[in-house]
Amino acid sequence: MGLLSKKDAALIKDPLADNNPITIQVLGICSALAITAELEAAIVMSVSVLFVLGIGNVVISLMRNIIPSKIRIIVQLIVVAALVIIVDQVLKAFAYELSKTLSVFVGLIITNCIIMGRFEAFALGNGPWRSFLDGIGNSLGYGVILIIVAFFRELLGAGTLLGIKVLGDPIEKTGVYAFGYENNGFMLLAPMALIVVGIIIWIQRTRNTSLVEDH
Amino acid sequence: MEHIELFFKSIFIDNMVFATFLGMCSYLAVSKKVSTAVGLGAAVIFVLAITVPLNWLLDQYLLQPGALTWLGPEYADYNLSFLSFIMFIATIATMVQLVEIVVEKFSPSLYNSLGIFLPLIAVNCAILGGSLFMQSREIPTIGLATTYGIGSGIGWFLAILAIAAIREKIRYSNVPPALRGLGITFIITGLMAIGFMSFGGMLTGGDDEGAKKEETVQVEGTNTDSEEEVIANNIKGNE
Amino acid sequence: MSNRTESNVYTIIFAIAMVIVVGGLLAFTASALRPMIDNNERLEKQQNILYAMGVNDNDESSAVFVSTKEAPQLFEKYISKQLVIQGDNVSEDENAYLIDVKKEQASAKEGNERRLPLFVGEKDGKTFYIAPIRGKGLWDAIWAYIAMDKDMVVQGAYFDHKGETAGLGANIKQRFFMDDFIGENLMNNGEFKGITVAKGNNDPKNENKNDNKVDAIAGATITGDGVSAMLKSELKQYVPYFETLKNE
Repeated sequence: MGLLSKKDAALIKDPLADNNPITIQVLGICSALAITAELEAAIVMSVSVLFVLGIGNVVISLMRNIIPSKIRIIVQLIVVAALVIIVDQVLKAFAYELSKTLSVFVGLIITNCIIMGRFEAFALGNGPWRSFLDGIGNSLGYGVILIIVAFFRELLGAGTLLGIKVLGDPIEKTGVYAFGYENNGFMLLAPMALIVVGIIIWIQRTRNTSLVEDH
Repeated sequence: MEHIELFFKSIFIDNMVFATFLGMCSYLAVSKKVSTAVGLGAAVIFVLAITVPLNWLLDQYLLQPGALTWLGPEYADYNLSFLSFIMFIATIATMVQLVEIVVEKFSPSLYNSLGIFLPLIAVNCAILGGSLFMQSREIPTIGLATTYGIGSGIGWFLAILAIAAIREKIRYSNVPPALRGLGITFIITGLMAIGFMSFGGMLTGGDDEGAKKEETVQVEGTNTDSEEEVIANNIKGNE
Repeated sequence: MSNRTESNVYTIIFAIAMVIVVGGLLAFTASALRPMIDNNERLEKQQNILYAMGVNDNDESSAVFVSTKEAPQLFEKYISKQLVIQGDNVSEDENAYLIDVKKEQASAKEGNERRLPLFVGEKDGKTFYIAPIRGKGLWDAIWAYIAMDKDMVVQGAYFDHKGETAGLGANIKQRFFMDDFIGENLMNNGEFKGITVAKGNNDPKNENKNDNKVDAIAGATITGDGVSAMLKSELKQYVPYFETLKNE
């Protein structure tokens, strides 16, 4: 991180653990539940959020002195929605295959509160470069949790990782299934995502007791 | 009858929080106290009740393929559906900003305690979700759209009220320190969602013998199929 | 923030300017890209139809379409007739595959006679009848192309969706689900029964092809119910046409 000053490096590093958007700031939960049944979807979503939050933060930061505070929410939402829709349309025209994978996430990205949350909390009060770093850091922190949750849900729920059968075939009874192991279909359901995130919070706060809340 | 069915369906079976997991961020963050939870819940009901019918009108007369025919037959081929997201969001954001101004004026204490989360109602996915479900489920009339909006809002209100009440009580319990606050809330919400899944079987099944057979199997719990299928049976009507 | 940006006049001017800029930008991209998007969608429909009748580049486990370059030629080669069925009236229309099923459903609701597209394909001496159908999943629309023989036994199926849950409902477009339909009979003792996506029917390898059932995806009950309902209500409308085929 020779390029970045200590303060700037913290913008990237903090959200990865001690100020994680999901487990500490409580942002972007809906999408963390909706798309973590499968590792691949979680990775695609993380990368999309990385782009949108990185660019969106810069745009909002550049506009921060001309946005009237009375209508700032509308402005922020329209900026991010327009950004996402234009990207979606361009992909549909030039990279149709890729757009089919991504179009499912368009709605989830626009309504992802991590994006609005960072606009409000950071980009409205900071310069473009720092906002950009903040966007990258937070989306990385978001992605880390998403990928951990999806890893466990897909592995325990379907016995696969990225669609590859790593535990053997449940119908042919090969691999671990030969010993009577069964997939825990419960893991694929959204309530289990909540509980997995709860457990991640538990582990994180056991390791770093300064994060513990009073009650 | 249609209205009553849709109303209860949107409160319990399609509960925004427990069945579709929408609006989680504000649900988790503003549920520390019952009083603030009630405030936010009421705001959500209000915003949903206004934006769903408004967006219904937009959808019918502007966005749907062929919706512009009322302007004249030459407009029949226009398809503005790519604008749905941005139009819905603009409506919602405008309404939320109005609510914010009103709340700030009449209840500064509520305004302060809601803090960052009042603006976040705008991206509360429950609100946009309400409008998008209205669109994709093709709700036929504006009356039903209003019912749907109010029902979904009440469902969300009930959910946040329940978790806030539990969180107020759980203060007196001996929760492991690291789980206190957010951690235990996540886990309780997960358990509540599993409970709410039992509503999923209502108003849906019963159209052929196959479905009935599964119900009995579920009650007796003697299913010898794989665990996966037992679970799939138990949470019939949910995903 | 300066006082200038707080005034009402500024706020209104800003809002108007933003609407014009954003609206213009969106309208420009949408209309400039429309022909390319339409073309991509047209090619995708051709790929879907070809996929259903078994013209695809599938490898061992995943579904792969023929390339977009080849699609138009292959479509020309394999699809011998495109029919539009409207009541008892059957006509040929070489652009029948561009009929928007969603619009037809909406106009049928208003009491109009629905136009049902049906594509007739020939491959290796076999005749396929491919019907495009559309229904509702948990979140949004689902649709499919079902290839049948003249007795309404499924020969191939392609499912797709707009926004089902990844890893659960979204799996309807996976090979393991779509391939289950091959060989399933939509009829039962001369009566139309459809195919039900059923849980726990003790037939995980789907060996029984005459039970009008395929195995469901765990955790995707509503999407599965949507698929069953779509197959039942949509394909039923094609039954009269298949009856006339029998009498020929």
